[in-house]
Order: sequence, then C-alpha cells, then structure tokens
Amino acid sequence: MLAQSIMLGIVAGIGILDSRIFGMLMLERPLVTGMLVGLVLGDVTTGVIIGAQLELIWMGIAGIGASTPPDVVTGGILGTAFAIISGQGAEVALVLAVPIAVLAQSLGVLVRIINGYFLHKADRYASEANFRGVTFMMWIPPILFFLSVFIPTFLAIMLGADQVKGLIDAVPKTIIDGLGVAGNLLPAIGFALLLDMLFTKKMGVFFFLGFLAASYLELNITAIALLGSCIAVVIHIVINNKNEEQVSQPYNNLTEGEINFD
Amino acid sequence: MTEKKVTKKELNQIFWRSFALQGAFNYERMQNLGYVYTMIPVIKKLYKEHDDQVKALNRHMEIFNTTPAVAPTIMGISAAMEEQNANNPDFDASSISAVKASLMGPLAGIGDSLFWGTFRVIAAGIGISLATQGNIFGPLLFLILYNIPNIFVRIAGLKLGYRVGVNSLERIQREGLMDKIMAMTTTVGLVVVGGMVATMLKIETPLKFNLKGAKVNLQEILNQIMPNMLPLIVTFIVYFLLKKKVSITKLTLGILAAGIIIHWIGIL
Repeated sequence: MLAQSIMLGIVAGIGILDSRIFGMLMLERPLVTGMLVGLVLGDVTTGVIIGAQLELIWMGIAGIGASTPPDVVTGGILGTAFAIISGQGAEVALVLAVPIAVLAQSLGVLVRIINGYFLHKADRYASEANFRGVTFMMWIPPILFFLSVFIPTFLAIMLGADQVKGLIDAVPKTIIDGLGVAGNLLPAIGFALLLDMLFTKKMGVFFFLGFLAASYLELNITAIALLGSCIAVVIHIVINNKNEEQVSQPYNNLTEGEINFD
Repeated sequence: MTEKKVTKKELNQIFWRSFALQGAFNYERMQNLGYVYTMIPVIKKLYKEHDDQVKALNRHMEIFNTTPAVAPTIMGISAAMEEQNANNPDFDASSISAVKASLMGPLAGIGDSLFWGTFRVIAAGIGISLATQGNIFGPLLFLILYNIPNIFVRIAGLKLGYRVGVNSLERIQREGLMDKIMAMTTTVGLVVVGGMVATMLKIETPLKFNLKGAKVNLQEILNQIMPNMLPLIVTFIVYFLLKKKVSITKLTLGILAAGIIIHWIGIL
C-alpha cells in the first residue's frame, strides 16, 4: 500500500499543478485522474468509468476568474481510489469525492493566502532588479500546491483505506442505491453551470437544437458538435456577411501589411 | 545606437514559461508573479541599466488575471511594447500596463467561453461517451481534442501579439471579430450542452400505475410526449436555483439528500 499511496499522491500532485505550471492541459480533470488512479491500482477500466461519472458531475466546476473552486483533484482521486479499493461502484466514489473536494478546497485557499508572503518578498527582489530572487519566489508556491494535495492523498490512502472500506460496508443498500440516483441527478449541476455561462434569451434556441437532435434524431455528441460548428459558421459568417454586403459596407480583411485609412 | 530587439529565443522562452502562469497564484495580484516570470528573459535582453530593469519588473508585477491559454497573446504584445520602450526614449511606458489591463478582461471573456464553455465541453462530451464503457481512449481523446486548440492558440497568439502589436488587436475588436468568434463558440457550446443533457443525464422513473386493470408505465408515456423530458426539467430546475444564487455546495448536498429520499419513496 505504501508504494501505491506515494504514486497516488504524485498523481494528485500532477493534477493540482496542471492549472499552476502545466498550462491547464486538463490533467486535473477526473476523467484523466480516474484513468491514472486505475493504472496505479491495477483496474484501469473501473478507473475510467468512475472518472467519466465524476467528470459529468463536475462538468461545470471551473477554475475561472478569481474564485477557488472545489478541489476536483483530491476529491476525484480519493473517491475513485476508495471505490476501486472497496470494490464498490461509482456511487461510493461519488459520496466520498463530493465532500472531500469541498474540504480540500480550503487547503487550496490557504496556499493562495500564504503565496501573498512570497509575493511581497518578490516585490522587494524586483526593486533590487534581482531576477534570481523573483524567479525563486515564483517557484516556491508550486511546491506548496504540490504538498497541499500530496500529503492528504498519501495519508488518506495509507491510513484510511481499511476504515473507509469498513464504513462503506456498513452503509445500508437503500442508501447506496439512493446515492446512485443522486449520482445520475448531479450532472445537472454541471450542465446548469455551463448554461449559466452560455445561455441568453437570444442564443438559448441552440441549446434546444442540440437537445432535440440528440433526443429525436439520436445523434451522438461528436455528430452534434460537428453539425453545431457548421450551423455556427452558417449563421455567424455566411448570413451575417450577407447582411453586411447588402448595406454595402466595405469589407475589411485583416491581412498583414494592409493600410488602414481611417 | 544599435536597436535592441526581442529575438526568437526570447519568444520561445515566453512560450515555455507561460505554462507556469498560475504557479504562484495569490489573492492580492493573482497571476502577476507568473507574468513577470515569463517577461524576465525579455527584460534581461532589452534593458542593461539597473533602474530600467527595476521599472520593467515592477511594471509586470501589477495585477493580472486572464484565461491561461490566451495569456501568451498579451505577453507577445507586452514584448513588442517593451521593445519599443527600450529603443524610443519618448515612449510612454505606462501604456504597457494600460494595454495589459485593458486586454485581460475582454480576452478572459472570450477565452473562458472558448476554452471552458466550448472546447472543453466538446472534448469531454466525446471523451465521456467512450469512457462510460470503460474505454481508455475516452480520457486520451479528451486530452488530445482539448489540447490541440490550447497549444495552437498559445503559439499563434504569441506570434500574432508580438508581430502586430496593440493596434491590430484593437482593430480586430473594433471590427467586431471578437464578438463574432464569441457568438460562434457560444452557439457550438450550447448545441453540445443540449446534446449532453439528452444523452448523459440518465433520469428515468420506474413508476407504474394500474389503470382499470391495464398496467401503465409512466416513463413510456413521458417518452411519447418527449424523450429525455425528465433530464431537461431537472437541468432547468437546477439552472433556476443557480440564478437564485443558491450555492453549488448547497445544491450538491441537496441533490445527494434528494436522491436518497426520492429513491426511497420509489419515484426514481
């Protein structure tokens, strides 16, 4: 268990650093960490399936703006790991992952607060034109971010696996099944969050277009995405440009070296 | 006086360093340490005087926050402006900060809807539809589909930002190209989210009635009215609760509790 605990801790570390120093390659998402947890614990298929389930639930949780979202890294990894270790399904992953993510979020907040100290030291180095010092202050916080998920993940798997298994076995079946139902309902939060970002009265019809295409025509997501792209081009480029030509506005292209006379 | 110039070498360094933009994220000035870190090679190359270096470093220590994928575009512009500043003593250095501050908001808006609302949703939608069957290509395809535009926008944006500088970007905005891209990505994003609500929310009721001796399956009736009616209704209930400023944590806990209760009663 020791080796696996360390490896899962490292997976968590990579996940949390994804948004920090890897340029948001999406390594932090449950869909990816689920696969990695599965690899570490020797059950990739289950890891991938649970990862997909958690990804749906957390679809709308995004690290955008200044807010700190629930920590889907620690939550997703521990949830998936405990579900695989205990031999239970995605319901267990979910009931563990959701509260863990909320708890772990506070550690992320703490690190961001501590980073203020390094910021002020960096200010001092900047006023001395000390490039090395500034660079150093920039690289300490990622270490803190790494530890903020490595330590809890390592300890939880190392010390908690047996207890969690016992706890899960003690939960009555109706509750576990009920959690399965909740798991099917939870992705609605993710979709609602996305709608909150995208939905407007004018554009709302496109949501229904996608919904109806899937419901009645039974198209899959790839087909819907491709058709949606075509529709977007038709509406926003073909039709829009036509309107512009009709009112005979000069069309400006943006080629290099073009002289702008206005 | 020989002209000071940012070369390909510094641009490459900006590209690689830009990945660490949020490394030292803090609440006071957010991504600023990451930003100054990416600008260090440029500052070192352009300014030899101690005072000039201090000024340049302090300039980029100011608050900064935008979508990471579009940050290299702004960094390219900053590099081009620093270059002008180093060569032209009359250049107004405060305009470098002003441009950064005025671009990060609009670019974050377009970046978030492009990357979070569109590319990620499409990539995840396709990835999840494979992964629910336990197919390892689900997560892999998700990573590939998302990162093609992610890396492309980083490279192209940096080049564009450095080459065309401020004026062209302003022109792009004035001619409404930004709005057009935004409208297009929102369209695709909404279509895909609509499709996902229909295919990925598995909400069906097992309720059956005995009506004058005939067994009636409620789900079949609902399907005849409109397939996936329940997923649509549930999504909009949650959407309106979000609009009413119910927090995500409360919604999540509420749904967990509701799931258990509804299952216990036998509705779902």
